Amino acid sequence: MKKLDRLDWAERLTLSAFGVRAGVRVNVSGVLPHVLPLLPPGWKKSPRVIVQRLYSLVVAQGCERAGMRRLHVLYANTMPVARDAALDQVLAALETDLHRYTAEAASDMTFLHAGVVGWQGRAIVFPGRSLSGKTTLVREMLRLGATYYSDEFAVVDSSGLVHPFARPLGIREDSSYPQTKYTAERLGAASGVKPLPLGMAVICKYEAGARWQPALLSQGQGALELLANSVAVRSQPHQTLRRLQKLVRHSVFVQGTRGEAQEAAAAILNLSCARERLETV
Amino acid sequence: MKERQFPRARLDCLSREFGDEVLVYDLQRDIGHCLNSTAAATWKLCDGNSCPPQIARTLSRQLSARVDESVVLLALDQLADAHLLVEPEVPVGRPSRRVAIRRIGAAVAIVLPLVTSIVAPTAAQTVSCFPGLHLCATNAQCCSHLCVVNRCV
Repeated sequence: MKKLDRLDWAERLTLSAFGVRAGVRVNVSGVLPHVLPLLPPGWKKSPRVIVQRLYSLVVAQGCERAGMRRLHVLYANTMPVARDAALDQVLAALETDLHRYTAEAASDMTFLHAGVVGWQGRAIVFPGRSLSGKTTLVREMLRLGATYYSDEFAVVDSSGLVHPFARPLGIREDSSYPQTKYTAERLGAASGVKPLPLGMAVICKYEAGARWQPALLSQGQGALELLANSVAVRSQPHQTLRRLQKLVRHSVFVQGTRGEAQEAAAAILNLSCARERLETV
Repeated sequence: MKERQFPRARLDCLSREFGDEVLVYDLQRDIGHCLNSTAAATWKLCDGNSCPPQIARTLSRQLSARVDESVVLLALDQLADAHLLVEPEVPVGRPSRRVAIRRIGAAVAIVLPLVTSIVAPTAAQTVSCFPGLHLCATNAQCCSHLCVVNRCV
């Protein structure tokens, strides 16, 4: 760290998000504004100097010489996280690592790896691993009028309410790499602000041509599925279990294999409406 | 030897009730288990002082339905497999699951015991990252944190 500290840092920022404090410093002026959109949603500048994780972004300067590539390097504390000739790749790595760290280190909130939308005053979550089609389903729900909460994390507080983590949606066009970022507003949807109680959790996987015929899961089985997507369950098992118990109190769990997102999204919203009607009766 | 006839639930696990089911988190193995109503009720009765026939009788009273000892043995078998019981020094000779289910027969008034388990994910596994062989540009994009020649290892 001392070696890094000795470098001339042109710009610095200390931020706080979901109770986690992090710092970013850059050796070149004018780069920090490119970092700001990548910070966790709802971040605030923090007056504190001591941070839990400090990112040092060393931007390569000067002309390239023959046979020598100039690389930009990102460190998290003293650990190199990314090294690349393209600055946008290094910035993408900063975003991934910072979001991952925030989700893991936040003690006031429990982060579940899930897509989330708001629908008629309740949250619908889609827990699932990478490439399971969460973002596709969320995008389709937004098209049908749902409110955007997240395509990455369901953030659960101690009362069991789901908070937004409304970062721009990372859409992989035709499963190709890289992702393109779209804000919910650009997709014609609104982003949620208010924390919501969980209405429904949908555990699904994609299979080309499959028909969406979900089965109901018990509350315990559903909670186990959420546990399987809890970011910090190993480091914070007590809080995770306690918050899951509050989260699932009045929710319904369905599981199934879906085909195209359009059919599944419409069916899920219909199911959610039917449930609301039953509760009203 | 006592654990052989008098099963005892492990007390060093976290547990939370979800309706009549119980979610148990094994802190030593980082495994989560969902015990359905019958498995949960059996697990709660594993106090180290009750033998399977006694557990069956208590369960019958609690559930107001006749619970056969085979049901209890089936539950104990699954709980032992999930390491939710204090392990006996000598392996317990219980009937196989197939034999137990055959003995229980079709006419049971309660739900058959079921323990479902998952290995708790590491933090890296639960955030969006690319699996092995996926195209990548930086280490941070891969679940393995290793991007070699633009492919995740």
